[in-house]
Amino acid sequence: MITQLIAACIATISFSILFSTPRKEYLFCGLTGMTGWLFYLIAYNWIESIPLASLAGTIVVALISRIFAVNRRVPVIVFLIAGIFPLVPGTGIYFTAYYVFMNQMELASEYARETMGIGLAIAFGIMIAFLIPQKFFNYRGKTKKQDNLIKKWY
Amino acid sequence: MSVIDSLVQVNRKIENTAEIDQNDVFDLIMLAGKILLENGAEIFRVEETMKIIAGHFQVNDLDTFVLANGIITTMKIEGKDSRTGQVKHIPLSPIHLGRVTEVNRVSREIVSGRYRVEDAMEELKRIEVLPYETKKLTILFAGIGSASFCYLLGGTLYDSLVSFFAGFVLYIVLIMMQKAKTPEMLRIVFGSSLVTVVSILLYSIGIGDNINSIMIGSIICLVPGVSFTTAVRNFFNSDYLSGTVRLVNALLVSISIAVGVGIVMLIWHAIR
Repeated sequence: MITQLIAACIATISFSILFSTPRKEYLFCGLTGMTGWLFYLIAYNWIESIPLASLAGTIVVALISRIFAVNRRVPVIVFLIAGIFPLVPGTGIYFTAYYVFMNQMELASEYARETMGIGLAIAFGIMIAFLIPQKFFNYRGKTKKQDNLIKKWY
Repeated sequence: MSVIDSLVQVNRKIENTAEIDQNDVFDLIMLAGKILLENGAEIFRVEETMKIIAGHFQVNDLDTFVLANGIITTMKIEGKDSRTGQVKHIPLSPIHLGRVTEVNRVSREIVSGRYRVEDAMEELKRIEVLPYETKKLTILFAGIGSASFCYLLGGTLYDSLVSFFAGFVLYIVLIMMQKAKTPEMLRIVFGSSLVTVVSILLYSIGIGDNINSIMIGSIICLVPGVSFTTAVRNFFNSDYLSGTVRLVNALLVSISIAVGVGIVMLIWHAIR
């Protein structure tokens, strides 16, 4: 479990490096991906459905991204894109392709369905997390705004 | 700094706003929008940022129409009967979140009055050419990302090692092909078949335990996570057209990966 979480953290940070994320956000990207994967694992052990577990993981990733975005004053996609990567259905794409080309259409369609399901789950997860109004995340942003005003005058 | 100093500064700021050339403001707005869109920001963030900057410099009659791959803007010039406008084509390109973050910061600081138009322009021009991570680092971390992802999805350490090599080689070739301006789909098909070849070769000489986990780790760098996330974000903000562009991109990339992997797998099974 712990090695899994560390691997998730490293994977997320690697992807954020590929997208030239600012260096000081690496750690937070890693944390986002790690927490998302943690909740994915918990949900998967509990309901044993990959799409539903992805939904849970995505909601957590998106919520944490929003919290970090407000606190670090950085666009939310910085954390969202990196954090969502471990949940993206690479497995599904691979197995769909594999079975299509191996001419095992039943297995292929099963995996294609699962891939679509995960895709939809991720989409809904992001949407659900972004339905919460921004003001619930702004508690820290307000004080920072005041800081800015103070800096301007002194 | 004393209060008087800052009052002088504020005073200067007011003077400056009085004599702003609106054409400069227009260039500034377009540049900000271009950098944001080019480097992977969502449509509404581009529009919002352009409008916020315009509002700060007292440009009220600004209309922007932002698509996934282009910006159309017109602006009325104060005191004249004419409008100025620009159409900018911005092809889908690799994203650079550092630039998006920087433009975000600059736009916030413009609003808090810390930049004059020329200074902001200079800053944006610096941001526009902010370098990508160095090639060595990207290649290394493409490998590390593939390896840790392989481990994450149930691969053993040996599988991860193979994935590391596959990801490593993949990015070297991807960067080379990007330089040669190969079309995206071709790049993906070729990249995924290359990854499959490397994985199968290493697997056949006895490194790695499970070819499936190796493959899943190796192709993860190609999987269209960014396009998909951006598509969803655009749909959520009712930018259906741009969302569709991104979604179609994600779908085509997925199919390209499937084709690349499938062809090599087919040949391998035929030979074996």
